[in-house]
Amino acid sequence: MKVLIQLRSSGAAHQAATRGITAPSVTSGLESAVSGISIDPQYPPVQLPGVQTTTGAGIRSLGQPLTFTLDPARSTYLVRGSIPDGASQAAALQSAAAHPDVVGVFSDPLIESCIVCPGDPPVGNASDVAKRLSVSKLVTKKMDGHSVFLAVVDTGVNLAYLKSKGRTPKLDIANSWVPSGVSTKPGTHPIDHGTMCAYDAGIAAPKATLLDYAVLLSKTPGSTVMAGLLSDAVLAYSKLRTILNGMPVAKRAMVISNSWGMFSPTWDFPPGHPGNYSDNANHPFNLIVASLETAGADILFAAGNCGHNCPDSRCAFGAALPICGANSHPAVLSVAGVDVNKARVGYSSQGPGRLTAKKPDISIYTHFVGSGVYPEDGGTSAACPVAAGVVAAIRSKYPVSKLSPLQLRSLIFKSAEDKGGTGFDFDYGWGIVDPGALLAALP
Amino acid sequence: MATRMVTLRLDPSKATLAEIQAKYQLRPDQVDPKFGVVSVRPEDHLYAVLVDEQVASRLEGGEDVVGSFSNPKIETFGPPRKR
Repeated sequence: MKVLIQLRSSGAAHQAATRGITAPSVTSGLESAVSGISIDPQYPPVQLPGVQTTTGAGIRSLGQPLTFTLDPARSTYLVRGSIPDGASQAAALQSAAAHPDVVGVFSDPLIESCIVCPGDPPVGNASDVAKRLSVSKLVTKKMDGHSVFLAVVDTGVNLAYLKSKGRTPKLDIANSWVPSGVSTKPGTHPIDHGTMCAYDAGIAAPKATLLDYAVLLSKTPGSTVMAGLLSDAVLAYSKLRTILNGMPVAKRAMVISNSWGMFSPTWDFPPGHPGNYSDNANHPFNLIVASLETAGADILFAAGNCGHNCPDSRCAFGAALPICGANSHPAVLSVAGVDVNKARVGYSSQGPGRLTAKKPDISIYTHFVGSGVYPEDGGTSAACPVAAGVVAAIRSKYPVSKLSPLQLRSLIFKSAEDKGGTGFDFDYGWGIVDPGALLAALP
Repeated sequence: MATRMVTLRLDPSKATLAEIQAKYQLRPDQVDPKFGVVSVRPEDHLYAVLVDEQVASRLEGGEDVVGSFSNPKIETFGPPRKR
């Protein structure tokens, strides 16, 4: 946890604060005395004026009359640091608070100028995302998605539209799929959500071979526009596994992007019911997801748009945890959203997850001007294919025979740019995907 | 009527609609032919069929029936909608 530490007056602290320079000697005693505390060496001490009430009594309210003085003897000095999370945090806080140089230890929360919410204008564009993803470095290493199947399980892809936007992906029509009753063919579906996803996957993996799985165009009774039933996804995954198993092991590389899920627990049996999907590892879809990952697929699911700050209007989870079912599966990458300024978008669903608690896994960029299908490519719907593109780019040079899906996920976690709480947290997961650092971490 | 996915542990050679209909005395219209018989966990010989709620209730507890599961609606997450 990031903290601000208020220190008593000292000549060294005052001198450093006045000059705006760091002063390791001011805090070295504190660091050696308090186990786990770490002082930010780049942050110079900041003088806090001495303060007192007109009566000399303690401060009870910021509304009462106060007087301030910059007299060094009555000032205090702030430095910045971090203390351990988890079980050892309380001991570190107690030890720091008892140190003779310390007045107090305070939280140093993440502050955001303006959290992005549904309906807000876009932040940045696809070129900004490409820069953040170090796409030029990936291209230098010939990591562009070539020789990799990238399945977009969504509302279908419109290839002509993608070409009009400068994308030239290959589409494997023979290995694509539409649910029964859908009249449009792979690559020619109405321009909608799935086309946005395909565009966003192409930011990092422009040469991936798309597999168009228009599951969310299902005409199954009970489905609505841009919706389907989970049984449609079971069928789709069965077909994807057949394709994957037909690939030579040495060249096996398939990435599956899923920007969908449930908005309401009422669509499912309640937790504890034996037929429940959201919390139940034995549900057939959760089983087939595990089976496909075991066969070598990299599966990514959007975390969802039910974040606390400004959830999508369709979210009906209330106090229940929204990252559920396969979106919280231990064998998938569950993707949260940040804007190009690396701030979590307010609608990005937060953990814990239902099938496994440590969700979302990672964060990546969304809410930017991209495909043009919508004013912005937003939601964790856009974040998921952006991440899928990064995975597909890596797979160009690292098929499953060189790096299992689990190993690749571990490297993505380790190389992610930590945000929020130290290490994993329920807002950003392990942090923002950092392809530059990931390249350095690859074997 | 709502549907459910029922999982069955079957000999792979008998994982066909015809075999399943015969084994559980189901009419052809009681098992969704478009869904068919889907292998969900090959290593465990586990298969799924899609049936309506009434048929699922009748199958529960039957020989080689592992479970009867929800078939919820799924929806694209985006674009995010304002409250």
